[in-house]
Amino acid sequence: MILWGSLAGGVVGTIVLTSTLRLSQELGLTRMDLPLLLGTMFSEDRRRANVIGYAVHFVNGLLFSLAYAGIFEAVGRGGWDVGLILGAAHALFAGGALVTVLLPAIHPRMGTPWTDAEETPLLEAPGFLLHNYGRSTAVVTLVMHLAYGAIVGAFAAGF
Amino acid sequence: MRINGYAPIRDYAVIGDGRTTALVARDGAIDWLCLPDADSPPVFDRILDSDEGGAFQLQPVDEFETERRYREGSNVLETVFRTAAGSVRVTDAMTCADRTVSSPMRQVVRLVEGLSGRVQMRWTIAPRFDFGRQRVRIDDRGGHIVVQAGRNALALGAWGAGDPAASPDGISGEFLAEHGHHGGLSLASAHGEPLVFAGFDHAREALDRTDRFWREWSARAEYDGPWREAVVRSALVLKLLVYSPSGAIVAAPTTSLPERIGGERNWDYRFTWLRDASWTLDALLRLGYDEEAKAFFWWLMHATRLTQPELHVLYRIDGGVQRREREIDGAPGYRSSAPVRVGNGAASQVQLDLYGSVLDGIARYADEVGRIDGDTGKELAKVADYVAKIWREPDCGIWEIRSEPAHYTQSKAMCWLALHQASHLAEQGVLPDHRETWDRAAEEAKRFYDEHGWDEELGSYVRAPNLRELDASLLTLSLLDCMDPRSERMVRTIDAVRRHLAEGPFVYRYRGGDGLPQGEGAFLACSFWLAAALARAGRGAEAVELMEQLLAAGNDVGLYSEEIDPGTGEFLGNFPQGLTHLALVNAAVAITEADE
Repeated sequence: MILWGSLAGGVVGTIVLTSTLRLSQELGLTRMDLPLLLGTMFSEDRRRANVIGYAVHFVNGLLFSLAYAGIFEAVGRGGWDVGLILGAAHALFAGGALVTVLLPAIHPRMGTPWTDAEETPLLEAPGFLLHNYGRSTAVVTLVMHLAYGAIVGAFAAGF
Repeated sequence: MRINGYAPIRDYAVIGDGRTTALVARDGAIDWLCLPDADSPPVFDRILDSDEGGAFQLQPVDEFETERRYREGSNVLETVFRTAAGSVRVTDAMTCADRTVSSPMRQVVRLVEGLSGRVQMRWTIAPRFDFGRQRVRIDDRGGHIVVQAGRNALALGAWGAGDPAASPDGISGEFLAEHGHHGGLSLASAHGEPLVFAGFDHAREALDRTDRFWREWSARAEYDGPWREAVVRSALVLKLLVYSPSGAIVAAPTTSLPERIGGERNWDYRFTWLRDASWTLDALLRLGYDEEAKAFFWWLMHATRLTQPELHVLYRIDGGVQRREREIDGAPGYRSSAPVRVGNGAASQVQLDLYGSVLDGIARYADEVGRIDGDTGKELAKVADYVAKIWREPDCGIWEIRSEPAHYTQSKAMCWLALHQASHLAEQGVLPDHRETWDRAAEEAKRFYDEHGWDEELGSYVRAPNLRELDASLLTLSLLDCMDPRSERMVRTIDAVRRHLAEGPFVYRYRGGDGLPQGEGAFLACSFWLAAALARAGRGAEAVELMEQLLAAGNDVGLYSEEIDPGTGEFLGNFPQGLTHLALVNAAVAITEADE
């Protein structure tokens, strides 16, 4: 039950997370565009990158819901409250190590603080806690992931 | 010769690595260096404070004369010091990192080579972080001297350069450079991560590799006219002003070098002005640097994402909206030109001309590099819609006037250009088709500046309908095709600008008030604009003559500041100035093309 519930929650949570991010962009809260960041790993064409990025992001959402399911199994229960805690940890990981350190390290078109005159990357790095993409980006990231965690947790517990 | 400890601005050369730059004076002192990035607080700031400021000096103990040059096609600087006892060559560079752990995050390398005789050399490193506001600790760690201040750390490497002596004020050493002597100093830096102690061989290899990179990069410049050396030098300067991690280009790597000695026209230029977008993309594309143009375009679209359709005047190099302008307490400023400012208050101004520059730059980019995706096209269409709505508003204009906003003629012409280029892009299917709105607004803007921006008595376009005076920015109407470059009005405007604003080859921006105490130098970019406008008007001989005079006005290594004192030739304003070098490139290309 926890596994399938988490996966279903992963689908819904990823949709909510992606939509919240898009809304935040439209409201001028952040310049972070995760599908574009992910998609430009594979293509320089922004339209193609966006499509690929959405697909990669969706798959990531499902994979993370599986990880959530494993933790729910380990602690013996799901629920929106446990999901909320995991969402907060997930936000810290995403805004800290994942996007700030790992993504620039493997992204072929993203600059890093080490990029020098010999390179001409196309995307600026997010910076610590994503601050390069707007001051509110860290808050938006936290809220998105809290929502994602709560949804996955609630689905895992069968509401 | 220094005046009260300050070297003339003309005496500086620049070295850099694509993240930050250092200014090296003719006497061998590095007087300006921000770490880790171009817009970070300085570590060496003696250019703004000759008594207390930090510096990295390296020079003969005895009286000397210098001769210097950049290595051909490179940003590696060579200074030869000649004394009565012999001569020594110092080679300076900021190195590009290889991808190994032995590469410091940032590194200044200074190699010393004895050329003849015996020369006693002395060096001193006095770091001062963030205008002296950070406490500095200097430790000798068994052969490695380390400087720490907050998250910043420096590691000194000295080889064949005497025994380093550390004191609370800095590090120093002396050594004898005889014929055949090879030694060097390296200053490696880290920011919030462990220091890397580079060895002598690594420092030399890094310098050689960096030199090779610059030579290969500059050899790609697609300009074969008569001024290739000056054009390539300008391209190399512009590449140094590119902040490689994001693709942004700083207007200049310094803050508060004064437009008038002792005056208050001292601004922080370590930001990217959108106004320069058109010139930047044009220059990069004309020289064949498509990758840099593409990186700048991506940065432009990404940085403006939060403020669209409104565009800010300037953005931080990391893409953020810039912080407020503040003054540094206690900093005397270059030759008592206070205040020293960090941040730039112009960021909050309304400047309509930048919309023309941005859309013109993007149109050139789309024409020459490649297609623009649908989402970007929609964003740009919103910007053009916004211009159609606001072009009637007064603004602060291209010169960022701090007095009351006005209806500047050049701003209206640039709004026309924005709308015209949006229509052009829509016609090609790049932007959604709002041509009816844009064409109508463009027509009205053109009618406005043709009817109200022209003064028959002066025989010229004027600054604004209520400011019946000359303004050198009106030359851009020819350069950006807002007007037929050979039209009677444009030709008469060129002549009027020469009559009223030129002093020899140098052109002042304007003579009227701007809300600040009077007195500044002639604006070098305007001088190059005049040369380009003459060429486009079909007056090639005059353009060539002016260009030759302007090229003779550069410093000994081909660099330019923002302004010049026409009487003394003294450089004024921030240095080296990107807009001046952009104007040089574009003028050289315009004259060469007109000649063909």
